[in-house]
Amino acid sequence: MLTITIDRGQEEPVYAQVARQVRLLIASGALASGTTLPSVRRLAGDLGVNLNTIARAYRLLEEEGFLVIRGRSGAKVSAPAREVEHSTQEKLLEELRTTLARLRQAGVTSDEIAEMVWLELLGSDDGDKEN
Amino acid sequence: MAEVIVVNMFLWVRVFLVGGIFIMFPRITRKGLFFGVYMGEEFGRGEAARAVLRAWDRGCGMVMASALVVGLIGTAAGNAVAGNLTGTAVLLLGCTGLYFRTYGKVKALRPPDVEQQAGKATATLQVGRPGGETFAKITLVGCLVVALATVIHAVLSYPSMGDRMPTLWSLIGGTDGTTEISYLTILYVPSWNLVLAPLFAVLALMISTAKRSLREGPGSRSAEAQDAFRKTNANIFSGAALLICALLTTFSVQVVEIGRGEASSLGPEMLWPMGAIILGGLLSLVVIIRRVGQGGALMERGSSEGALTGGLADNAHWVGGVIYFNRDDPSLMVENRFGIGYTMNWGNVTSVLFTLFVWGLILTLIILGFFL
Repeated sequence: MLTITIDRGQEEPVYAQVARQVRLLIASGALASGTTLPSVRRLAGDLGVNLNTIARAYRLLEEEGFLVIRGRSGAKVSAPAREVEHSTQEKLLEELRTTLARLRQAGVTSDEIAEMVWLELLGSDDGDKEN
Repeated sequence: MAEVIVVNMFLWVRVFLVGGIFIMFPRITRKGLFFGVYMGEEFGRGEAARAVLRAWDRGCGMVMASALVVGLIGTAAGNAVAGNLTGTAVLLLGCTGLYFRTYGKVKALRPPDVEQQAGKATATLQVGRPGGETFAKITLVGCLVVALATVIHAVLSYPSMGDRMPTLWSLIGGTDGTTEISYLTILYVPSWNLVLAPLFAVLALMISTAKRSLREGPGSRSAEAQDAFRKTNANIFSGAALLICALLTTFSVQVVEIGRGEASSLGPEMLWPMGAIILGGLLSLVVIIRRVGQGGALMERGSSEGALTGGLADNAHWVGGVIYFNRDDPSLMVENRFGIGYTMNWGNVTSVLFTLFVWGLILTLIILGFFL
């Protein structure tokens, strides 16, 4: 059963914690494309947080292309795009460069980064096959 | 003499039933909770917890004995009914007082590190229709249709009724008093049907989507236990709604028959739903106490899952361990920390308005009863 846990004691805002965990579940393949997520009210009720907090997390994930939100049918995990737009590619490349820079600053070597990337890609491929 | 024996028998049954349930309460609660306080998952196994439980058992035993003694004194003084009522008051007030005394003691023993759980909450991303929701919806529609039918039946029968209607009843269903016929007298019982049966169905619907307090970790066991508990409670309330509807519909139809002169007293048909309500209530208690546990406590027992999260682990939002008040939480209902079933989130405006509306309706009907 897929679960997410929030901690109000952390510095990271609650909406960002929710978005991060959903993003990771999608990236790992645990949440397949087309999967419906709980309604804002239900998730907010179970987590005991304001409705706007979950709505904000869902909107953020929609903007990032992870979710499709359609009125009454709720939020669904979107299918990967068939073609990547040039502007999106540029933006993601910038994020990748930032992450690489942070990894290098943290002392992670290029070989270790390459290994991490391969492991992540293999993990998400396995998740895709299972789904 | 027979009446004295029956009155005392009722008191004894009530004392052992209510007292026994109070003794059971701390034993069916979820791991981590102790007398309405979140104490952490390990506290319940310690000597301090066992000492509190022993004191609780002794206290409940003393309250039960006091209630019975008061009942016997009333009987010896020649007023068994007064003894019964005073004994019942001693029982309820004694158990409630004992709870708050124990709650205060337990709160003082609270380990400081448990408060870090207050900020945590776990939820599943599982989507599906909550168990018991469909049954509750069907029950609500059914109860409304039947209750409205009893109202229409009473109104249509009005012209064929006599000048007076029975409004006071003896224990065996005979007429103890009559009132001049009016729309108030003929619509009084159907109005109760229109309020009480749908109310239980609405509560069932609210329970079927009530807040779930899961444990940290994969959450499968606690989520399943919570879903089972929620479904069981929702189905119990839906069942209660149907039985109340059956009872009040039968009552309403029989009152109309008496008003038309087709019968002189209430028939035995009402005994069936009455008996079913009592038996169903007892059976529901047994199912929750023996099979499910409060919040699914018995079903999640033995699982290696982590600490409790969500509203249940949040001591700051509970008053006296029994009143949940959290303005940020959109949940209407949450499971009780101590006791059986669910309670309202009193920090939610909708919950407060719903409760005021329901009590307003019930009090209006009670007050109207004085004008019959």
